[in-house]
Amino acid sequence: MCQAVYNSAISIILKPVISALRGALPGLRHPYLLVALVGLAVTACATDWNTPEQHLARKIVAVTGPGAVALTVENRSSLGKRDFDIIQNGLRSTLDAVGLRFVKADQAAATVTISLSENPTSYVWVADIHQGAGESAVVMVSTARPEGSTAARDSVPLSLRKTPLWTQEDPILDVAVLEEGSSPTRIAVLDPEKVSLYHMQGGAWQQEQVLTIAHSRPWSRDLRGRLIPARDHLLDVYLPGVICSSASALPLILNCRQSDDPWPLIVGTLNGGSLSVFPSAGLANGASTVVPQMKAFFAPRRNFFTGALTPGVGKFTTVPKFYSAALLPRDKYTLWLFAAVDGQTHLVDGVSDQAAKLGWGSELTSVKTACGAGWQVLSSAAVRPEDDQSEDSVRAYEFPDRDPVAVSAAVDFAGPITALWTEARGDSAIAVARNRETGSYEAFRLAMACGQ
Amino acid sequence: MKRFVWRWLAVNSLLMLALAAPGETRPQYGGTLRVTMRAAPTSLDPAENAQSDSFARRNLTLLIFDTMVATDDSGRARGALAASWQASPTNQRWQFHLRRGVNFHDGTALTSEVAAASLRAGNPTWNVSVDGDSVVIERDIADPEMLGELALPRNAITKRNSEGNPSGTGPFHIVDWQPGKKLTLAAEESYWRGRPFLDGIEIEMGRSFRDQMTALELGRADWVEIAPEQAHRVSLDTRRLANSAPMELLALLFTRDVQTPEEKSLREALAWSVERGSIRSVLLQGAGQPAGGVLPSWMSGYGFIFSTNADLARARHAREQVRTIPTWTVGYDSGDAVARLLAERVALNGRDAGLVLQPTSASTADLRLVRIPLASADPWIALAGVASVAGAPVAKNDGGSVEDLYAAEQAMLATQRIIPLFHLPVTYAASASLNNWTPRPDGSWNLADAWLGNGKP
Repeated sequence: MCQAVYNSAISIILKPVISALRGALPGLRHPYLLVALVGLAVTACATDWNTPEQHLARKIVAVTGPGAVALTVENRSSLGKRDFDIIQNGLRSTLDAVGLRFVKADQAAATVTISLSENPTSYVWVADIHQGAGESAVVMVSTARPEGSTAARDSVPLSLRKTPLWTQEDPILDVAVLEEGSSPTRIAVLDPEKVSLYHMQGGAWQQEQVLTIAHSRPWSRDLRGRLIPARDHLLDVYLPGVICSSASALPLILNCRQSDDPWPLIVGTLNGGSLSVFPSAGLANGASTVVPQMKAFFAPRRNFFTGALTPGVGKFTTVPKFYSAALLPRDKYTLWLFAAVDGQTHLVDGVSDQAAKLGWGSELTSVKTACGAGWQVLSSAAVRPEDDQSEDSVRAYEFPDRDPVAVSAAVDFAGPITALWTEARGDSAIAVARNRETGSYEAFRLAMACGQ
Repeated sequence: MKRFVWRWLAVNSLLMLALAAPGETRPQYGGTLRVTMRAAPTSLDPAENAQSDSFARRNLTLLIFDTMVATDDSGRARGALAASWQASPTNQRWQFHLRRGVNFHDGTALTSEVAAASLRAGNPTWNVSVDGDSVVIERDIADPEMLGELALPRNAITKRNSEGNPSGTGPFHIVDWQPGKKLTLAAEESYWRGRPFLDGIEIEMGRSFRDQMTALELGRADWVEIAPEQAHRVSLDTRRLANSAPMELLALLFTRDVQTPEEKSLREALAWSVERGSIRSVLLQGAGQPAGGVLPSWMSGYGFIFSTNADLARARHAREQVRTIPTWTVGYDSGDAVARLLAERVALNGRDAGLVLQPTSASTADLRLVRIPLASADPWIALAGVASVAGAPVAKNDGGSVEDLYAAEQAMLATQRIIPLFHLPVTYAASASLNNWTPRPDGSWNLADAWLGNGKP
């Protein structure tokens, strides 16, 4: 029987499905492509309608007694046609089982109008029963509404693929994949008060440990943070005015301190003063790319970087205040893109700072892939820019010169993007969106798929 | 060929970008929001009950003060000043554990003693005590709605100084207060939920809807109220208008209980005579929803079950049970532009059924046309609030089902103290620079999360 599913990690739902697909179809290269279709079935099975159907049927027959009735079922709720049809059929079956026969109104001893309605917390099913001359009765049942869910939707050409990683009610600031085989097997989830470690066991995420973040001052609104896997210990955590490091030995705890030290803008492996960025980028020859280390100071009580860079981009040690940054290595220099708080994108190459109004959102980052020109900038944007309640989308761009060229279709999210960070492995990014319908935060891995 | 493809892609991308509107999605800090409102409260004390309830007053309270518990858009309780809580199995004893590290705007710490004193002052019938860092509330009867009660702005936690002025823990603190005229607020830097994006808010009070609209059009206000019936006329981009869910009940309220069977028949005749559909189309210009019940359907889930159609035959039949028809006066608020028209229309409908009704702006009347702001998105609390205003028996939730709620609402309507007419939304308009400003379904503002696009970070 279908089970109600509330606030589960997306992977908990998807993992068994994907495992089953892999088992059944060994040659299947992209099981997630089928998940959207399977998701429809999961959604349809998300709620158990049997119990309220039986309760309502019993209440109706308690009024009418067994016999002939004229039945009408109306949908006044947000339920889709598919669910409505399922419920309508279920109600008819259940009413039939308790002794009602369905006839036309002129042959009926009673007319029953069932309205499938809802309030903010429940589905409310109301039966308005009319018998004889003016005799009427109203009976009703309610059943809790599940949290909404949104199916992932991918688009083709050079496509940006969105893989669900985690969802929760508390804000997700960042997610780090700590171990993975063909898919993530251990993740860390950063929220305002803790880092939660999960590992995959038996096809479901199991909580391994919770590391509390100590901080003395209230966090800023629109809090941001980064999780950065470290080489000699598990990870570092960057939050406005606070930096934490996990202990290098057991027991695993977080040591947090007040600090305005700069945050790394790019994540990778230190390599003699330079950074081997994106070591596992899926390049054909397995080579990594080396670019200079770059850090930026984050305003301790705000939601943006101050613009101060270390060591800087060429002659520029400061740029306008910005929300996010992306890099594009060139033959002889690195082009940096900064999403400034004034809505402009600044392209800084070490010699010039060129401001452009690209209509992008405030989140951008870059990935190094085996697709296209090899580097893509992922940028957020409002799906409906004129609507301040718009959902966001993310699209990949390349920069043959200084003008962006869209190289993927936009991937839509169920709400605003609240975080977009490149993962340590470099060829993918973590995107976090707040689902406007459910209010929950959803973290996804974004990866490019070539030649589609 | 490859070069051609790149050029084609570049041209298309640039064209697309040129057409794109600014897409910044991350909130910006800074700026002062200018708000106007029709209400003119003379006190900011949440527990002060000499002033009438209004959405404006509730929202002012929640800019300055916090409640123990808050509710989300679905009506579910969320921790606020109380980080956690426990209820006894009978829902008679509730224990609330206070959040640590919260300070009042005067710099003093929130303590369980202060919170208990604040709740005691506003709810004399509650037994409120302190247990360490927690507050304990005990009731004589089961109170499953306690969380919803504590989320009401009137139960916001207040600390009064020696002069009796209230201090809060909310996202903004008071910079200047001219009662009934102007309120200036500044962001609380160390607010426990994070400093608001806005630097400050300036609120001008006692402004008519027309003045407010003019102020918005002239760029002198960023956030204004709109009369629901005027919303369609607003010469604005409709994307800058926002409605709450229908949270205001427009109703006829009798000032006394039914005294005789004849009076009962006449009230029934009046209820059947009102043509809500045409009133909505003409006078309310399509705003709101006809109401046959007290609670809107979105809140209860069953509101549609109450008929809203006029039935002149039934109205006349009920009226014919009575030989002598008294003249009823129908009071309305003379400051409410549409109220007089509504009262006159109701009188006209009543006349069609053989009733005699006389609209009046006098303070005394046999029945009044009233706007009742529903107290909460929680249907039991909303119903109790209307019952209190109507002088009807207060329905109490004993942990009951939606069917119990329906029975309680039916019981209230059966007193014939109230004839529901419409459920109306609260409507606001905002300037183009204001972001993330949409009011919540219950009409409450969320200005701590709003931000100005041209603010200086």
